[in-house]
Amino acid sequence: MDSDICQVYEDEIQSLKEEIKLLSKKYEDSQQESTYFSDKEILMSVKSLQRELQGESEGHESAADLQAQLESLETDLSFLMKLTGIQFTGLSKKTLERTGNKTVRKYRLSGSCCSLSFQLEFQLLEMQNKGNVSAAITDLSITMEPRGNSDLDNFVSSEKCGSLLTFFRSLSSYAEWYEHRRCTFLHFKEKYPDIVSLPEGLLGDYILLRNPKASGFELMIVWKIHINEKGKTTPVLDLLTKVPKQVLDQKMAAIENAPTRFRSMLLVVGIEEAIENLVNIFVSER
Amino acid sequence: MDKGNVNARDGVLAHLEMLEVQAQGAAMKQQEKDLQEEKLTRLKARVMELRLQRDELQAKVNLQEKKQLEKEGTASDPAQASHKTVLQWKIKNLQAMLQVFYLTGISGKLTRHGVCFYISTAYEGTYLDSYYLDLLTKSEVQIYHHSVPHFIPLEQIAKQYLQTDIRRFLSVLSDHLNAYVGRRYQADQLQEHFSDQIKGTLWRNSLCNLLVFNYDMPSKSKTFPFHVRLVYGNLCHSLPTEVTISCTPDAPASLTETATAHTHLFRSMPLHKAFHSLSSAGETLDGTP
Repeated sequence: MDSDICQVYEDEIQSLKEEIKLLSKKYEDSQQESTYFSDKEILMSVKSLQRELQGESEGHESAADLQAQLESLETDLSFLMKLTGIQFTGLSKKTLERTGNKTVRKYRLSGSCCSLSFQLEFQLLEMQNKGNVSAAITDLSITMEPRGNSDLDNFVSSEKCGSLLTFFRSLSSYAEWYEHRRCTFLHFKEKYPDIVSLPEGLLGDYILLRNPKASGFELMIVWKIHINEKGKTTPVLDLLTKVPKQVLDQKMAAIENAPTRFRSMLLVVGIEEAIENLVNIFVSER
Repeated sequence: MDKGNVNARDGVLAHLEMLEVQAQGAAMKQQEKDLQEEKLTRLKARVMELRLQRDELQAKVNLQEKKQLEKEGTASDPAQASHKTVLQWKIKNLQAMLQVFYLTGISGKLTRHGVCFYISTAYEGTYLDSYYLDLLTKSEVQIYHHSVPHFIPLEQIAKQYLQTDIRRFLSVLSDHLNAYVGRRYQADQLQEHFSDQIKGTLWRNSLCNLLVFNYDMPSKSKTFPFHVRLVYGNLCHSLPTEVTISCTPDAPASLTETATAHTHLFRSMPLHKAFHSLSSAGETLDGTP
């Protein structure tokens, strides 16, 4: 009889312990998620903690630990952001559900990769089984800015089943090409400001070459960045010519062949040199 | 010696012994009873203590929720928070950001001798294995430790990119690992959800780029199993480059059409999804819908 009562008490103690554990985690999560300290406030705290460190020795160790931990985390993060090109500007999460082995959190993430900004919302489900934590993403929604990169927009809207990993890897390679194109355009614009013009700016997808003295003859180099459903990015360049009628009648064949010749030149000498060769046509006529 | 006296003495002694044993027994029982009672009181006190703790926590959580409903997600009172609390909050925030990097596929941390990268893999929304690469960066970049499986051409990829372009190295390696994990996932899903249609064993190599198995469609009439050979020629892709389906010699000629349709399906869709669409289409081997 007595042993039965003991067992009942022991069972209740066990279940109470688990309840307490769950509640504490819930409380901590909620505290973390509902609080926000600005960078200024954090800097102030770091400074005053440093002053405390120099002052008394009590609590010295844990304060120094905190600072060391903070610094190491910040170094790791800035290293990763520099390496991958992905910068996170804002992260907020809200725990929607926490039961036993299962946790569901809603994330709002904003950031940029090179000059492409994104805003993501998704739910992360984490399950604990036998020391392993499995994770799955659902309800992924992506907003890109600037819009108007039709390929990227199509890719983003076709992202089904919450493939966050594919999005980031594709974004990373797309952004690399995006940045490369921007830098190349900038380079040519700065080197030959009178010949090169960018009607759609540095982030547009074409560049115009024209003779500053005699207009009428223009070369347009279109540089598109294609992204297929799997997220593979490929640059596609093409040449368009605008030629005055008289010249066209005379040099029809040469003009018609120009785009093909440009494409083969790309394969042989690469993008920068190919564009440089075209620019030189106008330079020699200056 | 008086025999009678001895007997009497023995009897008394025995009686005394018996009384002693009884007394000892009673004392032990009393002790046990006391111990039990003590234990019971202790347990009861512990239960009360934990109940109180739990109720206090519950009240705290309820208050939090009430506050959140009142003013949607704004800051706490900074004047109340100690400097330590502020920093602890920031630390947790940074840790959360590092965790998000894990979700992007490439994360890592700096070490004393270099850097340790973690490549995570996922198939659609489910995260699967993650692999680490411990690199030394003192003079030239070297791979110190890693958990990449031996059948992934790590050395080849490293030779090509590691020294010159670490970002490309990680990207190519990530492609290989994700594709491998994706192929493995498809084969696992097939075995798990369509085991009744697979005849015999599903044969696969460790890289999961060669799959051979027999399957048939559930049908009332006699079944003619198809023999499939899938080759994934591109190690960075999780769809096959070559699909060969053959039927048994005694199968009717109309099946070749079905085989061709299936070939096309396997080439364009993940394996488990292809099977799913086959089952839901309700195709039977004799071609009748």
